[in-house]
Amino acid sequence: MKRYEVIVVGAGPSGLSAAIEAAKRGLKVIVFDENEKPGGQLFKQIHKFFGSKKHHAKIRGFKIGENLLEEANYAGVEVALNATVIGLYADKEVVVRRNDQVFHYKGDCIIIATGAAENMVTFPGWTLPGVIGAGAAQTMMNLHGIKPGKKVLMLGSGNVGLVVSFQLLQAGCEVVALVDAAPQIGGYGVHAAKLSRTGVPFYLSHTIAKAHGEDCVTGVTICEVDSQFKLIAGTEKYFDVDTICMAVGLSPMSQLLKMSGCLMEDNPKRGGQVPIIDEFGETSVPGIFAAGDVSGIEEASSAMIEGRMAGVCVAEYLGYCTHEEKNESLAELKKDLESLRQGMFAPANRGKKITKTEEGIEISDSLLKNGFVAEQEIERYPGVVHKSGIHPVIECTQNIPCNPCQDACPKGCISIGENITNLPVVEDENVCINCGMCVASCSGQAIFLVDEDCGDGSATVTIPYEFLPIPEVGEKGFGLGRNGERLCEATVVSVKSVKAFDHTNLLTMRVPKEYAMSARFYAS
Amino acid sequence: MAVVNKADVVIIGAGIIGCATAYYLTKRGKSVIVLEASDNIGNGGSSRNGGGVRQSGRDPRELPLAMYGIKELWPGLSEELGVDCEYHKEGNLRLGKTDKHLEILEGLTKRANACGLDVRMVNADEVKKINPHLSDEVIGASWCPTDGHANPMITTLAFYRKARMSGARFITGEPIKTLRRVKGRVKEVIAESKNVYEGEYVMVAAGYESRKILETVGVDVPMHQELMECLVTEAQQKMFPQMLGTAEADFYGHQSDHGSFVFGGSSGIEMNNKDIGPKNSPGNSAITAPCICRGIMKYFPELEDAKIVRTWAGYIDICQDGVPVLGFVDDVPGLVVACAFSGHGFGIAPAVGEQMARLITDGRTTVDISGLRYGRFKAKI
Amino acid sequence: MNTIVDRTKDIGEFIPQPDDDMLICRCEEVTKGEIRRAVHDGMWTITEIRRYLRTGMGLCQGQTCARLVKGIVARELGISMAELEPAAARSPMRPIEMKVLGNEEVTDLWQ
Repeated sequence: MKRYEVIVVGAGPSGLSAAIEAAKRGLKVIVFDENEKPGGQLFKQIHKFFGSKKHHAKIRGFKIGENLLEEANYAGVEVALNATVIGLYADKEVVVRRNDQVFHYKGDCIIIATGAAENMVTFPGWTLPGVIGAGAAQTMMNLHGIKPGKKVLMLGSGNVGLVVSFQLLQAGCEVVALVDAAPQIGGYGVHAAKLSRTGVPFYLSHTIAKAHGEDCVTGVTICEVDSQFKLIAGTEKYFDVDTICMAVGLSPMSQLLKMSGCLMEDNPKRGGQVPIIDEFGETSVPGIFAAGDVSGIEEASSAMIEGRMAGVCVAEYLGYCTHEEKNESLAELKKDLESLRQGMFAPANRGKKITKTEEGIEISDSLLKNGFVAEQEIERYPGVVHKSGIHPVIECTQNIPCNPCQDACPKGCISIGENITNLPVVEDENVCINCGMCVASCSGQAIFLVDEDCGDGSATVTIPYEFLPIPEVGEKGFGLGRNGERLCEATVVSVKSVKAFDHTNLLTMRVPKEYAMSARFYAS
Repeated sequence: MAVVNKADVVIIGAGIIGCATAYYLTKRGKSVIVLEASDNIGNGGSSRNGGGVRQSGRDPRELPLAMYGIKELWPGLSEELGVDCEYHKEGNLRLGKTDKHLEILEGLTKRANACGLDVRMVNADEVKKINPHLSDEVIGASWCPTDGHANPMITTLAFYRKARMSGARFITGEPIKTLRRVKGRVKEVIAESKNVYEGEYVMVAAGYESRKILETVGVDVPMHQELMECLVTEAQQKMFPQMLGTAEADFYGHQSDHGSFVFGGSSGIEMNNKDIGPKNSPGNSAITAPCICRGIMKYFPELEDAKIVRTWAGYIDICQDGVPVLGFVDDVPGLVVACAFSGHGFGIAPAVGEQMARLITDGRTTVDISGLRYGRFKAKI
Repeated sequence: MNTIVDRTKDIGEFIPQPDDDMLICRCEEVTKGEIRRAVHDGMWTITEIRRYLRTGMGLCQGQTCARLVKGIVARELGISMAELEPAAARSPMRPIEMKVLGNEEVTDLWQ
């Protein structure tokens, strides 16, 4: 039996982060993962992450994965792939399947970072081929290059549902509707707005009544629900689809912790059955830690910090750093974690109805119900200003911990301030040089460069554009409103793709000037 | 309160013994309360065993119970309980690979024959005829055509269901602290919750835990517990209907109606296994399941690609002399003991339940269980 | 958990529902109606439901249906999902062929 000082189960964001912190401090670490590639969910995330500069903001998920792997290699972490942990037994014994053999390993410490699995909801026809998890759709598209279907209906308006819907559009699928039984959108408004402006309709207070089809999905009927989530007869709507995606939450995969005798609790706030842990992830069994989604569903950025915390803790547990050093590292990580857990979507605010931003501005009702900020609402936000000449218009209307735009502008046109969840403000005095860095830096694709009056009755609007094919300069098409409606004719005047934009193209369209503040997408 | 918690019989332990006894008592018109320490009915060996319904290989003292059950109770049980218990009476093979093994099997066979049981030795060819999937390493076996197997989880819950339907009151999550004598008779059952239950008879059928409960009225059953393990495969094509065991005790088991194979076995260090499992669910050891797999593959090479989907562990309460303690205890009126089944209680459970119900209502059993009486333990010299 | 539960408590009659034939555990093909029926047969814990009906005992080990079964049982009993203890976690975490599980690396286990 081979002994390691630290055995990490799961090479996702939290597992790798934990391994890195432990290995950096001199511990002998191995990470087991059942997949053929490391990175967990990170390599499926082709979108740019939110957050602060320090926490990988505006970097795409798969790139964060690559960086983590590099860091792990550098720190001397051994990552064993195609290595399925089949059990965690007494005295921290781990049994692992590798190829056609099982191996016994002993860990002085164990860090469980096995993540979560997708939830399902049932409706007649839910077992038909074509009903899949949103995560499965992501795996098909982004890891294997396979389109999950042609016409898709998404159930669930949390960030997963919103992000995956957008990726489905990017993959060339048609998203016929985004449906949620809740009366308002669960995820970030900016993610919803990205979908709305392409024309995806939102059906809140709706759920799936039935999936149609004999051998596979051929259609779906949705139905409005009342406040008790009961179907309201007569409100059925039918869609022709070949795929139904479910993004209805995740459940921690905490079985290894349970089998190893860690005290567990059923905590709906953390997504299901989770280990009882202290602030830094230690379970009731000394030397066994949990980090990431397995100890409570959050997102990758916080999972990475939790992983680092566990890594620091095991280093101290095994005498590789002093108590003081540990506390110092933990204090800093704790600060980072707290900064991520701020804003309207913070875990503490889950289930609460928030009507005003931290600045005291009313939240857009239309955004929560329809997926886009209504025209009469948009002017109340500090990022939406009118100026002569080109200037940024920032349609960022909810307090989320994210601030890359402030650093992106070389001229200081954008400020967020110390508090990372503040809404961005467009400064009056500073002059925009039309470099486009802010547009490309915004993970929510909520920044536009607008010249409201070009002097000839037209205006130009620069939008972030992440679809293929990229429209050609000179092409004539349509300017779409925030709700995806065709507003006006539009001509593509420039398409910029430079390395610094990291695959976000900046498409500038010319529209009649009365549409300067309403045209937010281009369709040919 | 006192009135509500009163019944003709209070049974401690909702395993298959407690559930079966409760059912047969209600059938005889008695009121019954069954108290279970864990959250689940049948949480001990009742749900964790390999499902054997055997007579062969049994000690002559408990063989009459086994034979009675197979003749009188098992065949009609599913119908009686209204749930398919997946009972199959298609024989038991006890396999041997060496001359030494055959010697052991012959000894068991002779003893069983003496008690009137049809068991016989079969040679390699005959074994292959009964079960063509066996490897060529098998050179002989003992064969008891009236043995078989059933689904232990379902049988236990079926007794519970039917007893509950017939009016037995089951209370789970109620561990028992003490028994109390009232005017010379064991009558009160006091739970850790301080709830008090009262019965004309109190039956203790709580597996190994019985020992702690019985000592509160000065009764001690000499037993210890061992942590045994089982595993189950994914469903396979229907291969064979017999119950299997080996002379070497490498493994035992059968194929269930569902198609999965359920096999039990050991690594050899059971006596000292550590249990880190959560409450009510003992933990497995890291080395046992692989060992059972190796054992099985030696006998059934074609099962090597069958996937194991689950393993589990369960305690068996092993009596000093390997057979249970059953019945009244002289000089302790009101008390009925049914424990220390030593790892082979499932197959005789319906018979035990039925006979205990007779004992409590009629004062006597119809099957001779005198060899299983409490007072039998003596020093060796 | 070990809360005292009197299994004679009245949970009402079994009332058929239109979607009782909907599959819940797809590995073992158990329907919603069978699960609800089992609750009325006295199976009040997730563990008992599993042992009685095989829900969550198939190849996926309940990864998909555990939560769904829990919801159905809780609703039938009129309690919250969190009050129902989940089933035990059992190795192997992933199904594994007998020949692989039996093929251990040969070393001193207690070295």
